[in-house]
Amino acid sequence: MKLFSKLYLPIILSAAFFLNACTKDEAVTVDPTAQLIKLTEGYATGAATKVLVYTESSVINTGYTRFYLQLKDSASGADVTQAQVMLMPMMDMGTMKHSAPVENPVSEKATDGLFQAASVFIMSSMGGSWTMTFTVRRPESGKRGSLAIPVTVTDPAKATVKSFTAADDGQKYFIALIEPAQPRIGINDFEIGVYRKATMMSFPADSALNFTIEPEMPTMGHGSPNNVNPTHAQLGHFKGKVNFTMTGFWRVHLDALHGTAVADTTQYFDIEF
Amino acid sequence: MSRAGSKPFPVKKIILLIGTCIGPLMLFAQQSLPANPFTDSTRFIELREVHLQARTASPQQRLVNFYRGNASFTLEDIMARLPEVSFQRRGPYGMEPSIRGYTGGQINVLIDGMRIYGACTDKMDPPTIYIEPLNLDHVQVQTGQNGFLHGSSIGGSVLLKMAEPKHDEEGNLHASVSSGYSSASKGWYESARLHFGTGRWSFLANGTYRKNQDYRAGGGETIPFSAMEKANYGFSAKYRLNENLSVKADFLGDDGWNIGYPALPMDVGYAAARIGSLSIQSEKPKQGWTNWNAKLYANRVQHYMDDTHRPNVPMHMDMPGLSKTYGAFAEGMRQTGQRHSLRLRADVSSTFLTASMTMYPPNEVPMFMLTWPDHRKMQSGLGAAWTFDADSNWRFQANARVDFITHRLTSTDGKEEVAVLGYDTDGRNDLLSNLSLSATRKLLARSAVFMNIAYAERIPTGSELYGFYLFNAQDGYDYIGKADLLRESSFQAETGIKGIVGNVQRVRVSYQLTGFASYLDNYITGIVEPDLSAMTIGANGVKSYQNLPWALQAGGEASLSGALHKQWQAVVTIRYTYARDDQGDPLPFIPPLKSMLSLRYQPGRFSAQAEWEAASRQERYAIRAGEDETPGFMLLHLRCGYSFPVSTSRIGLQAGVENVFDTFYHEHLDWGNIPRQGRNVYIQLNLSF
Repeated sequence: MKLFSKLYLPIILSAAFFLNACTKDEAVTVDPTAQLIKLTEGYATGAATKVLVYTESSVINTGYTRFYLQLKDSASGADVTQAQVMLMPMMDMGTMKHSAPVENPVSEKATDGLFQAASVFIMSSMGGSWTMTFTVRRPESGKRGSLAIPVTVTDPAKATVKSFTAADDGQKYFIALIEPAQPRIGINDFEIGVYRKATMMSFPADSALNFTIEPEMPTMGHGSPNNVNPTHAQLGHFKGKVNFTMTGFWRVHLDALHGTAVADTTQYFDIEF
Repeated sequence: MSRAGSKPFPVKKIILLIGTCIGPLMLFAQQSLPANPFTDSTRFIELREVHLQARTASPQQRLVNFYRGNASFTLEDIMARLPEVSFQRRGPYGMEPSIRGYTGGQINVLIDGMRIYGACTDKMDPPTIYIEPLNLDHVQVQTGQNGFLHGSSIGGSVLLKMAEPKHDEEGNLHASVSSGYSSASKGWYESARLHFGTGRWSFLANGTYRKNQDYRAGGGETIPFSAMEKANYGFSAKYRLNENLSVKADFLGDDGWNIGYPALPMDVGYAAARIGSLSIQSEKPKQGWTNWNAKLYANRVQHYMDDTHRPNVPMHMDMPGLSKTYGAFAEGMRQTGQRHSLRLRADVSSTFLTASMTMYPPNEVPMFMLTWPDHRKMQSGLGAAWTFDADSNWRFQANARVDFITHRLTSTDGKEEVAVLGYDTDGRNDLLSNLSLSATRKLLARSAVFMNIAYAERIPTGSELYGFYLFNAQDGYDYIGKADLLRESSFQAETGIKGIVGNVQRVRVSYQLTGFASYLDNYITGIVEPDLSAMTIGANGVKSYQNLPWALQAGGEASLSGALHKQWQAVVTIRYTYARDDQGDPLPFIPPLKSMLSLRYQPGRFSAQAEWEAASRQERYAIRAGEDETPGFMLLHLRCGYSFPVSTSRIGLQAGVENVFDTFYHEHLDWGNIPRQGRNVYIQLNLSF
């Protein structure tokens, strides 16, 4: 019986699934927002556009946060797939204001009906209030308008954004952990976004640094073999591989250099799974 | 991990219950089965057996029969007295057999021809633990050119044959119970055996229960974490289809609780093995295929390591392991004319192994990893031994074996871990070939010289391929596997002389002298990986299994056994092995020169025996494997027995003193230099009818 269930059950089940899938596939069109959370919606007044704001989680933490915008014409209700979208986060701390790193949609064309952007919230709402302003420009009409929404940003259990002032050039850098978002045993993608604080309002992506990583289990004092240091891919994103030999609490140490000049050796990301 | 985890079965209670119920029934009992050795002590080889090098059992079997007379002996005690065998010892229980210094994946240990793989990553559970002398029919240690007939191996095979029900038309019931006590471990031994045959059916049931406390070493020190408790129980039923053919069903269970391993950082909390088989076998030799049998089998071993009794554990951890094997084989022999005979064995087996570790740091999430990434090994092989009697003086034999073995990783986590180490995760396929040629020349009337050469290969073990940070307490390193290890192979040569001298009735001496040498290619051993960080807290670093270019192993054994007027028997064995690697360093776990002399006097119902055991200092030790020099030692054991009939039953009483001088010692293959048992007084009572 066991052999039967081991061999035949999966076959029968997969056959059933396959048949089932065949019949359903034609009817279903994938909703691009199905896996997303709608944060809010509103009108970009002046652009005659309704903006629906989606995120991957209902809780927005400090760190790298993706925004997905669905645009609709406020008159016709039709999907808008061609637009220039810009993000401007602003932290009002009462005595001062500052912005944060952003990644505007790379194209004016929507992908699957969505404009994808991101922002790196570099502090939580404990220190003030965050406002995110989405500016939409419709190329066909040239109309331009904005939607500003308040955003509540909390600190996650393990920080995913770090900053340091480089020892060699005196500049302040922000580093956001992007991957692994779903850490597991084995080889994980390691991706960070690196931004330099040019002014209080400008945090351009930086590709001049290079990094070495070293994972460690602080409780045990051991690391893991065959990690791949992140190298610059594009737009300040650095990609490498981090290996976790077991579940638990890991600390990935990060050393930043300009060539051979040491910028910083104190940063790390804690990852627990 | 749920996969290793069906609930521990309350076997202990059931055994106690059964014992209480049927114990009294067996009070008048007779020892039906093999052999009170005190009554059949003069089993001398016959010329035929000397001549038949293919069936080398005889000189060795004589030793086994000689020593199994000590009813308090475990299988390990018996085997350790064979000159070819020594044991790696991590605790008083679960010692790992080694043939001429070959161990682990270099040898096969088969129970009734079945493959059983330990579920413990620390090798706490070699299959030999499942056999008690009570359920043992015989043990055969095959070396040299015969060593790979049952499975590709470079070091030989330990073949354990379980006792089976004997055909009995009369409907007789035979039963025996034994009870014993050993002082050094304050240990109790209880066993019962029941045999019943009627018509075409015959049945055999047996059970053994052992419980030892921490034992006392020579000089008086108590060795912590050396206690153990276990139950072993078997049942087999045989049905005779006709005069030549019978079918048989066997079940063997073994449960251990809180078994201490003083040389390791963890003990066993619970371990369980369930071994079942169905066979069909020929009962009597006849024309055509003789002595053939075919078997279907399955076994499952679960193993839970435990550190909750240990002090100063930096972090509690669970380490469960699971091994599941199923397989089938058929073997038989065919005589062609007067001069040729052919023995064949075909077998297939499939083994699944997994083991994991979960650590529980305070205030943090548990840390989990697979220590054996889940994998399945499929093996199919064919072995053949062809014997040709050229004339009355010469015999030639050729043995060959091929095995096709595949390994596949079966889980995502497992594959990921192997990928982390930088290896391909598609698994591997290996074709192994083994070949040997031998010649035997009769000398004088009852002696023969033999010479054989062989080429053999073995597949790396699960730990050697996929082990993931397995801590080795002997050298203090974490070991990782190498999925693309090359197969270890060996060119070996063996030569010797054996025979009988003397008068059949009065004084008779049988002897065997063997010399052997092997050149190992791609010898597998642990090599330090300086760039990797150890997982285990306090470990010295990480080693990975690697192939050394070559290693050499050579040595010799001699045994002499004699009888005088049937009342006196003497057995002497001596052995030595030399081994080095390509750098000239000694290989680890190689026993030093060791000799054993046993003298038995048996005028009638009474018997007395003295055993003298001596090992020289081992100066050739492997520093990189964590070994150090082991001092030599000498031991004396004294034993006596008395057995007498009471109406239809028989009562046997055995008592003795082991390590009479309370010597403080350990053997070279003992991990952690943990001293062995000191003076031990034992007594055992056996009732049978």
